Amino acid sequence: MSADAKTWLERIHRLPLRERVRVMNVCGGHERSITMAGLRGALPANIELIPGPGCPVCVCPEEDVYEAIQLALNEDLILVAFGDMLRVPVNVKKADIRSLEQAKAAGADIRPIASPAEAARIARDNPERPVVFFAAGFETTTAPVAALLAEGTPDNLLLLLSGRLTWPAVAMLLDSEQPGFEALIAPGHVATIMGPEEWQFVVDDHGLPAAVAGFTPVSLLAALYSVLRQHLEGRRFLDNCYPELVRPGGNVAARRVLAQTMDVASATWRGVGSIPDSGFVLNADFRHQDVHQHLPRYRDDARKRAGEMPPGCDCARVVLGKIYPNECKIYGKACTPRTPIGPCMVSDEGACRIWWAGGIREAISPGRYTVPAE
Amino acid sequence: MCLGIPMQVTAVHGFIAHCEAKGVTRDVSLFLMQEEPVAPGDFIMVHVGYAIQKMTPQEARSAWELYDEMLGLGKEAPQGA
Repeated sequence: MSADAKTWLERIHRLPLRERVRVMNVCGGHERSITMAGLRGALPANIELIPGPGCPVCVCPEEDVYEAIQLALNEDLILVAFGDMLRVPVNVKKADIRSLEQAKAAGADIRPIASPAEAARIARDNPERPVVFFAAGFETTTAPVAALLAEGTPDNLLLLLSGRLTWPAVAMLLDSEQPGFEALIAPGHVATIMGPEEWQFVVDDHGLPAAVAGFTPVSLLAALYSVLRQHLEGRRFLDNCYPELVRPGGNVAARRVLAQTMDVASATWRGVGSIPDSGFVLNADFRHQDVHQHLPRYRDDARKRAGEMPPGCDCARVVLGKIYPNECKIYGKACTPRTPIGPCMVSDEGACRIWWAGGIREAISPGRYTVPAE
Repeated sequence: MCLGIPMQVTAVHGFIAHCEAKGVTRDVSLFLMQEEPVAPGDFIMVHVGYAIQKMTPQEARSAWELYDEMLGLGKEAPQGA
């Protein structure tokens, strides 16, 4: 840990904070930095850092993953997806193919990509076949997808778009009876794209302290210090602790291409349900590139547990910050990165996978971290 | 998907920047940087193959220090997906 980070830690320890304060982050990148730097162990015990809905792979609708698998198995096409999506399991009968990885092993032409630009290249190289880009992600990933569309793509490139906005999930939690946190650390790169103003509602509508953070321990600790101080002093404002990248109004070109190609609509989150204004859909000008306009919908909503997390898996409550990863009863037992059951153990941004990579092996009973709030 | 990788621009051709970081070279799209001209020598934050913002050399360095630390600890590379 750098000297600057230690200085912030000392400042936090000097705050006269007696009651429990739960601070939620909503970004897998934040959670990874917090866990890998061991920040939880370095903080006073009454400060809890809660990983919230920060993993787009984890909340990608189970129905969309199922549809992607069926498209790849049943149609003569190439399906491309970010690598993280390939191992996400769906709920099917035991003998059936349950992930894109298994479909690929069974002969489907499924290719992992690391950039939307690769989807366009594969489409150009294979003009005789449809190429379906299964695009899951938050704003930081969906803006590049929008850029790809705005720049112009080959006719044979179709989209299965599962893009999501981050703030509506936080709004849903704050509108619920038990949000489960007293302050928010807002995601740095989402704010880089969309502007920090998106998070102003946390302060204005809910009276909670909020700060945008970058990904270094210094930026995260500065944001934590800011929200704790706001909490103590009863002052509330949206702080920007990542000013080097997060500018007022965000990335203007990114917001423009998003508005040019997509609309925002209600959308489902796996294991959570529908959240208003939380999904990107192709707008009227780009709807002709929606896979649903060209190929049959391979949906089977009568499937047992369609849309849900896998049986026995508590990912839904992990995603919403209701429990810590190691409070799930299959964490580290049936569910490890080698044999993941739930998407939170599959994705590099899933809290379970991050905690496992951070060396947390011990499972705990629910409620162990919970001390009564004053 | 949110982490992003800082890279240094070595050449610009239209909306494509040739970039370098730690000996690895990549072509990065500048389509999202239309409001902010990017030139060789600049540092940019790259997310799934697209530059999302310019940054200073110091910021790029501190981000890389973080990744080095993670690579050492977790034995897992931050992914660009």
